[in-house]
Amino acid sequence: MLASLHAIFSVATKEFLHIIRDRRIVILLLILPPFFTLLFGHAFEAGAIKGIPAVLQDRDQSAESTNLLSELRHNETFAWRELPAKPPVEPDLLKLGVQAMLVVPQGWGSSLREGKPTPLQLVLDGSDTNTAFSMQGAVHEAIGHLQLEARQKLLGSLPVEVQAIGQQVPEETRQQFTSLLQPWEVDAKILYNPNLKFIEFVVPGIIGLILQLLSVTLMACTITREREGGTFSQLMVTSLGRTEIVIGKVLPYLGISLLLIAMTIGVAHWHFGVQFRQPLVLALICLLFLLSSLGLGLLISAFCQTQTQAIQIAVFFLLPVFPLSGAFASLDALPQGVRMISYTFPLTHFCTAFRNINLRNADISYITGDLVFLAAATVITCAGAALLLRRNSE
Amino acid sequence: MSEPVIVLEQLHKAFGDTVAVDGISMSIRAGEIFGFLGANGAGKTTTMRMLCGLLKPTSGWATLAGEDTWKERARVRARFGYVAQRFSLYPDLTVTENLRFFGGACRVPRSQLDARIGALLKQTDLVKKKDAFAGSLSGGMKQLLALACSLVHDPEVLFLDEPTAGLDPVHRQQLWNLLYELGESGKTIFVTTHYMDEAERCTEIGFLHSGRLLVKDEPRALKRSFTTRLLDLHVEPVMTALSLLREVPGVLGVALRSGRVRVYAAEPERLVNEWQQAWPFPQIQWLGYEWVDPDMEDVFSAYSQGFTEILKLGTQIEAELNHG
Repeated sequence: MLASLHAIFSVATKEFLHIIRDRRIVILLLILPPFFTLLFGHAFEAGAIKGIPAVLQDRDQSAESTNLLSELRHNETFAWRELPAKPPVEPDLLKLGVQAMLVVPQGWGSSLREGKPTPLQLVLDGSDTNTAFSMQGAVHEAIGHLQLEARQKLLGSLPVEVQAIGQQVPEETRQQFTSLLQPWEVDAKILYNPNLKFIEFVVPGIIGLILQLLSVTLMACTITREREGGTFSQLMVTSLGRTEIVIGKVLPYLGISLLLIAMTIGVAHWHFGVQFRQPLVLALICLLFLLSSLGLGLLISAFCQTQTQAIQIAVFFLLPVFPLSGAFASLDALPQGVRMISYTFPLTHFCTAFRNINLRNADISYITGDLVFLAAATVITCAGAALLLRRNSE
Repeated sequence: MSEPVIVLEQLHKAFGDTVAVDGISMSIRAGEIFGFLGANGAGKTTTMRMLCGLLKPTSGWATLAGEDTWKERARVRARFGYVAQRFSLYPDLTVTENLRFFGGACRVPRSQLDARIGALLKQTDLVKKKDAFAGSLSGGMKQLLALACSLVHDPEVLFLDEPTAGLDPVHRQQLWNLLYELGESGKTIFVTTHYMDEAERCTEIGFLHSGRLLVKDEPRALKRSFTTRLLDLHVEPVMTALSLLREVPGVLGVALRSGRVRVYAAEPERLVNEWQQAWPFPQIQWLGYEWVDPDMEDVFSAYSQGFTEILKLGTQIEAELNHG
């Protein structure tokens, strides 16, 4: 037992020396986590889309269109540039250098007054679906607002005779009518992330991204490097058991990854003011996630012959994980079938569990399934790596 | 030099349809320096990797100190050291760190490790380099360090796969002196080499050809296995002579040796008589001849090129060579 610990310690020391002797890796490890946290934290800080370049042409020049324009100018979604009323402009967004174009057609004001409103003409750039939706929403919102104001004004200035007619309408209908004319309100109460700060949501995504990226790729190189350097045979003729090799190789990476988590959490806490709840449970989630990532790296490493192969396979495996794991966007946006794939990624379970604990302050029993998944992934990948090492030696 | 420490019995290894090692049986006694000779691809490295428990024999078996080298490989590993063909230490670790790692990996007790490393550094003359990165060492020092690492757990048997390939003569000498010391201290050394001067320093030699062991004997006995004398011709120009003499009926082979043309032939006396009476090559100048004793290089050439007519061979081996 003691001899085995000494053997594991020897492997771990050697592996740790490999890491710290590689200056580039050390710099990468020290700079990437805080940098990513700052970058992603600020990048997703503002939830709403702002300042989309757009042009506006008021071909009507009526009182109504002036009103509409002043309403639209308040809206932060667009950064408007106004075109002269004439001549008519082709809706060539690329040439205009904008993503939206709104034209108030001639006679729009009078069409409103006559009770036959003609539609406004909106041209949108649909290449980015997210932006297109929010641009459309912003225009609708502005029009709705304007319409409501106009309605209130109209109701307030109704002549007495109309009100007298109104008195003859049955009480019930009148009340329904009044209710329909008023904007309905929602008394919204937001739980779990009351200020709707995106950074609170995205912290596990950042931790997960960094850990997954660094741990899988670094780990994937450890055994292939031995193979390429010819040290693998030398390792196999020592008295080291496969388990000792696997544990010894994982340990230093585990230590370094924990340091990376600490750095990320530090930046999230001190810079963005993110609070962390139930630190012990969070630590458990991180540990299990880390072990499963390292196990995956090790599996890739045992499977490949060269470091290049290992990196390529790691990248191919990690690529779908980032957009589909719900690290930076909600899983709910994904179709059912894709979501089933998402739940085969450790990162998905890590993010879900982390958010349940940290944002929702849930009891640990809510995340048992995720913890079991991560633990199983660790066991399967590490055992697979040990088996592959054995097959390789024959 | 008593009981055998390494025993091979019909050891066989095939990779798919390719037979690399074709039924080797032999035994090596404790304290021998056994030189394993053969052309590239003859199966030397494959045999050695099977003895180290790195490859599973297709059939047959081998034992090291009585234990099966594959089935008991976990236990056998404690009993031997292995220096692979190519440099296989960690270049980003220092000399001491490499030794310390292999010491730990080979389960040298921590209390003894420092003393052991100190002794090995002294023995391999690497004390001054103990804090240098292994990758920065010269080729010779790298091999000395590889040897030191393989000795860190004080094994009974040492396997070396072409340990001196690419080394300068000074380091080759140093390495061999070390091997002698180790042999004298009772370790069994199993070494493959391409250098004939090294082969002569072995206490015993095995010659491998196409996966088969053709002969195994002391170097002196091998040199006596020629049935004829060897002929050195003094002729000018030698390069023309080499190509012309090779075609002469009765000549098995020719080789260039220190400016002379060495002729392997079943009846060299008859050839010399004929040539002295009538030298058949007007474009080559005949300057004389002398009889020489075979050295290891002649043994190697004769076995690897199959000059069976001039070798005292066991009948089975002869059949083998003719067949191959």
